[in-house]
Amino acid sequence: MARHRVVLAVFSVVALAAVACRGGDGAAPQEGKGGIKVDFGVTGEPCPNTGHSDRGCIYLGSISDLTEGPFKTLAVPITDAQKAFWKRVNDQGGIAGYDVDVTTHVKDNKYNPQIHNQVYQEIKGKVLALAQTLGSPTTAAILPDLENTQMVSVPASWTSLWGVEEVVLESGANYCIESMNSVDYAVEKLGAKSVMAVHLPGDYGDDAAAGAKLAAEKRGVPFTNAVTQTGQDNQGGAIDAVLANKPDVVILTTGPTDAAVIIGQTAARGFTGKFIGTSPTWNPGLMASPAAPAIKALYLQSAPWKAWATDTPGHNAMREALPGVTPNDGYTAGWVWSYPLKAALTKAAENKDLTRAGLLGAVRQLNSVDYEGMLPSGAGNFSGNANDSTFRQTLIYKPDETAPTAVSLVEDFFTGPTAKDFKFEKPCYT
Amino acid sequence: MSEFLQSLIRGLGSGSIYALLALGFVIIYKSTRVISFAQPAFMLAGAVLVSYLAAEVGFFVAVPVAAVLIAALALGVERTVLRPMIGKPVFVVAIITIGVDVVVRVVTNAFIGLDVRQVGDPWGLSTVSLLGVDVQQRYLVMLGTTVVVVAVLFAFFRFSRIGLAMRAVAYDQEVALAQGISVGSVFALSWAIAGGLAALAGVFVATGAGVDQQLWVIALKALPAIILGGLDSLGGAVVGGLAVGVVESLVGTYQGDVAPWLGPNFALVAPYVLMLIVLLVRPYGLFGSKEVERL
Repeated sequence: MARHRVVLAVFSVVALAAVACRGGDGAAPQEGKGGIKVDFGVTGEPCPNTGHSDRGCIYLGSISDLTEGPFKTLAVPITDAQKAFWKRVNDQGGIAGYDVDVTTHVKDNKYNPQIHNQVYQEIKGKVLALAQTLGSPTTAAILPDLENTQMVSVPASWTSLWGVEEVVLESGANYCIESMNSVDYAVEKLGAKSVMAVHLPGDYGDDAAAGAKLAAEKRGVPFTNAVTQTGQDNQGGAIDAVLANKPDVVILTTGPTDAAVIIGQTAARGFTGKFIGTSPTWNPGLMASPAAPAIKALYLQSAPWKAWATDTPGHNAMREALPGVTPNDGYTAGWVWSYPLKAALTKAAENKDLTRAGLLGAVRQLNSVDYEGMLPSGAGNFSGNANDSTFRQTLIYKPDETAPTAVSLVEDFFTGPTAKDFKFEKPCYT
Repeated sequence: MSEFLQSLIRGLGSGSIYALLALGFVIIYKSTRVISFAQPAFMLAGAVLVSYLAAEVGFFVAVPVAAVLIAALALGVERTVLRPMIGKPVFVVAIITIGVDVVVRVVTNAFIGLDVRQVGDPWGLSTVSLLGVDVQQRYLVMLGTTVVVVAVLFAFFRFSRIGLAMRAVAYDQEVALAQGISVGSVFALSWAIAGGLAALAGVFVATGAGVDQQLWVIALKALPAIILGGLDSLGGAVVGGLAVGVVESLVGTYQGDVAPWLGPNFALVAPYVLMLIVLLVRPYGLFGSKEVERL
């Protein structure tokens, strides 16, 4: 008898779990405010904190690195900028009778794929889309689920993998394209005759190194490669590799202090080549570091969009929405990344379909996104295949302690010959 | 030859950082039989504190003040969080120190803010000529400071009453207690000393490029150092730390020419290889005391 009871209990738990899962994944679409079809994360009730009692609410989730992970200094401003972005959207009238809430479902991933997946599971039934999913390996952990549930997601990373993922709404050039452009710039403008990639392992560094290699091959200049690890005292191998190969230009994809150690120590030991780092390589605080003289002499920074202090309608709106903050291009990134999702939500509302499937359908209809001048017109094409829709322009900045984020523009948006001809069909690093 | 000397001094410089950290681990281990995984957090906290204090009172005042404050913090942590755990399995206590590490780091991270912070040391990356070889001043400062700190510590353990008490507790806690030694105070003091040493190490690391949230990872380098030197030997910690630094630096400089087939970044693994070799020959580390277990 007791055995039967156990079997029954186990069966009940399994059945309950199955029902619970179904409840999370299969809500039937209903008619919401204004005759718009809704399913997940869209309610007729007003959002808790926006103060517009006559509107419904679209809940978006954010999964970011907010406490102890390595990208906290980027993640916090990204998240704050996105809160400010959507507050502005709400203050300007919301989206078709709905406000957008990005404050209720904010989760910390500690930059750990497992935790990322865990907190994603907690919020996925309560949100329409993800306003932010930070990191490449972390997002990769939930990618199959994002695809299955048609959860449109805004990444906070620039890996070329997002170019082929339909549910991911990327903005700006990916690391691969950016590094191609950096190499082309170095060959054309700096007269570089040899290229080296110094990078972290994984799809951040590997992606950039793959782009640099493709560009070096295309330009017929010798290419060398050195993988390094995070940590200031772990840069000895990279430093020795740079000094041994003496390349004319080094494409750097590391963290800021790693970069400062590499640049400072190689310069101290007589290296005179140039460094071009991707955006996560830079931090304004480096201008006060012991490596600052070397950084000023040798370092340039590639960027996917213009820096914090630029005068465009988008940049101006961002600065106005974030009064009193320390200028940081994490804010710029969070703000820029939000435009495609806003465009997709608006489109979906026009189509009277704010369900997950409806939102993804709206994404497929986006030929271009209005970034209010933060990216050139034509950016944000999600309607074509990966090759057509990949954005290929990059900017080059140089260190400048007088600028708010300590960089000033050297080369405006450009597409190098390598990136222009490159046929993008799969992530560069695979 | 000059390349060798440069590499050696770089290695001794970073080795002294590892030695300071390793000493902290060993001092706590000797008195409490616990490996404290909170050392990385104290290291980060020390560097961040100096980055704030240096702007107010100057680098040379900021460093000792920060070391004392972090020592007080470590003492406070021991007194409040770990003291109730006396008598519990060391494994449990070690896990608690991981929790302490996370808490202290998260709080410290909030003070780092968005930008990399600087400790404001006067050396920067400037070099000085030593035996005709250009070496960075900061490496010499690290080495010199570590030598002085180690000498003071050894004198303290050898000649002071408290040092004697600490040695007694390390030898046998119950007997020490029976002799009227306050074992609790010894625990607290060992945490304080370890905290101060970690803070100093953190400042040295930050002299290269500044303080960011990832600074703490370097503290993990002390682990091969203490295993190498012997978990309960202060001298072993110093030798182990310096050995890890020197091996890492020399392998980094020469492995590309001598054994390129080992691949890039072998230097990062080299200390662990050294550790394994030492353990094969001396299972308790170079200077560790052999444990006799009677069945």
